[in-house]
Amino acid sequence: MLKTLLEAFALISTWEVIIAMFAASVYGLVIGSLPGLSATMATALLVPVTFYLSPIAAIATIVAASSMAIFSGDIPGALLRIPGTPASAAYADEAYAMTRKGQAELALGAGVWFSAVGGIAGVLSLMILAPPLAEIALSFSTFEYFWLALLGLMCATLVARSSPVKAIAGMFIGLLVSCIGIENPGGIPRFTFGITDLFGGIEPIPALVGVFAVAQVMRAMLTPEPPPLPRRKFGSIMAGQWLLTKKYHWQMTRGNIVGIIIGVLPGAGADMAAWVSYAMSKRFSKEREKFGTGHVEGLVEAGASNNASIASGWVPSLLFGIPGDTIAAIAIGVLYMKGLNPGPTLFTEKASSMYAIYLMFIIANILMIPLGIAMIRVAAYILLAPRSTVMPIIMLCCAVGSFAIGNNMFGVVTVAVFGVIGYVMEENGYPVAAMVLGIVMGTMVEQAFVTSLIKSDGSILPFFERPVAAILAAMAIGALLWPVMVWVWRRVKPVQTAAATSR
Amino acid sequence: MRLPDTVTGSFLVALGAAAAYGGWLLPPVPGQPVGPNVFPLVIGTGLALCGLAIVFGIGHSFEEEEELIPLEDGQAAAAPRPQGKFHGLRALLPPALLLFYVVAADRLGFIITAAIMVYVTSTALGAKWRLALPLAALSPFAIHLIFGKLLRVPLPAGLLPAPW
Repeated sequence: MLKTLLEAFALISTWEVIIAMFAASVYGLVIGSLPGLSATMATALLVPVTFYLSPIAAIATIVAASSMAIFSGDIPGALLRIPGTPASAAYADEAYAMTRKGQAELALGAGVWFSAVGGIAGVLSLMILAPPLAEIALSFSTFEYFWLALLGLMCATLVARSSPVKAIAGMFIGLLVSCIGIENPGGIPRFTFGITDLFGGIEPIPALVGVFAVAQVMRAMLTPEPPPLPRRKFGSIMAGQWLLTKKYHWQMTRGNIVGIIIGVLPGAGADMAAWVSYAMSKRFSKEREKFGTGHVEGLVEAGASNNASIASGWVPSLLFGIPGDTIAAIAIGVLYMKGLNPGPTLFTEKASSMYAIYLMFIIANILMIPLGIAMIRVAAYILLAPRSTVMPIIMLCCAVGSFAIGNNMFGVVTVAVFGVIGYVMEENGYPVAAMVLGIVMGTMVEQAFVTSLIKSDGSILPFFERPVAAILAAMAIGALLWPVMVWVWRRVKPVQTAAATSR
Repeated sequence: MRLPDTVTGSFLVALGAAAAYGGWLLPPVPGQPVGPNVFPLVIGTGLALCGLAIVFGIGHSFEEEEELIPLEDGQAAAAPRPQGKFHGLRALLPPALLLFYVVAADRLGFIITAAIMVYVTSTALGAKWRLALPLAALSPFAIHLIFGKLLRVPLPAGLLPAPW
């Protein structure tokens, strides 16, 4: 154990890793703070760069950029009421109300501090949970993998905060996209329409870049420019954070735990963690009436929650190759590229690399405090950059980055096509995250499904016979039926209240 | 681009049916009950069912209406710009520019193609030429430096090779 830890230290204490991590941190902070540019997009645009780095440095950039971007999404949320990333949307109103009360420092300081604490709690959970889960996962057969993947997809549809039917449709579209190519049980060209470029299938990364980056540029074409940031002088940012920690230590712990649980669930990530934690904080607060008027309590809990989920989201990714959220989906792609194929054996065979990942997470979260404070101070200048200079550069990065992935122009075509698909879907209320997870997990779901069917001779029953498979199946089906139950409950409740008032 | 649910739903029904039919046509693996045909069949059917549900408005009550942020005092309302008939088509500009890149990059070279892309995007987002022109002149070189020089992505040289 100590030896592996030392090896891990040796792995990350190279100049390449240190520079990569620092640069990716700054990059993540800047992209995350610009309204409309999400943490997922920041990570996706980073992938072409990771091609040219060593495995550990490549993962370092992903870890650093995603953690920083999730925090810095709080900055425009608090100052402009425009969340920089969807994960900050849950409490942007609250933070903005605090800014209007003149407590911008407290709100942003809480963002930095509790994000860092949450991140570290998430890493600890990753360190503690992953090895025993890996033991269990070793005995998993294709039945368990099938249900686990399905559970991940179903969770992704639950998170969507849109019509569940549309979310499931989005998921099916993603799975359909993953059918393209010759990588299927029969090895025959499927849905390729004779186009040679389609034989290899649709690469998830260009699709992601299209859906998250190009679609955002398309949206910018039609929406008005966000208002400029009022210049303001900040007082001490960290002052009072220790008092908050003492006062709200229970809320912070609860936020961490909820974030960790949601992160570990395949398919649900930081956005959902923030929403659930904010709602929980409000529900259990002693001062519920203060929520919405600039009260820091919800910020503490939700900020601690969304960063905790970022780290614990790596648990299903590393163990099963099933992403916890869209950022983890990208990370999985990078892991495969770098020869660190996800799976339970990763923890025994490549233990030092795993420890290196934990260490990098801890360093990234500690680094977040000084860099985050610096970022808050210069945010006013960065947010001055007009969209008309940022978006063209993003476009160039999309074109070059997608070309670099396979060194062919088909990647650029993929980005353009998925930009349109993502834009149209989002405009019509179809959540794109569900589609993206469908694309990423499609091949795996199909393989597990078809192999299981061959093993069971076409019978459905063996899918439920193994105990773990049965539990996972129950969870997946429960997730599928959840919206139906909510709908029924909503129908019944007004009737009851109506009956109560008429009496 | 907001289409009624009946339109998108019907499209999904058609897409799902096509996928299921396409999957059904695929040859099975010899000697196996299931092969590459099963998965598209299942997915296509599921997609078509979802499409039907959307056409009939099932699950619509879960959709959240987009919350309009009320303007704060002191924050002047942006004057609504005059919108032409083809205003909505501006959204198609980014993918069109990417396709332009695919077609033109090999002939014109990266620097020129990228400069055109940047200039058009920037102008479309409301930049004056005084901002757009220097941006279009400088940013391709910066990107080329990072991707072409440092990361060794083989970017096409075309008419105007980069100076390094």
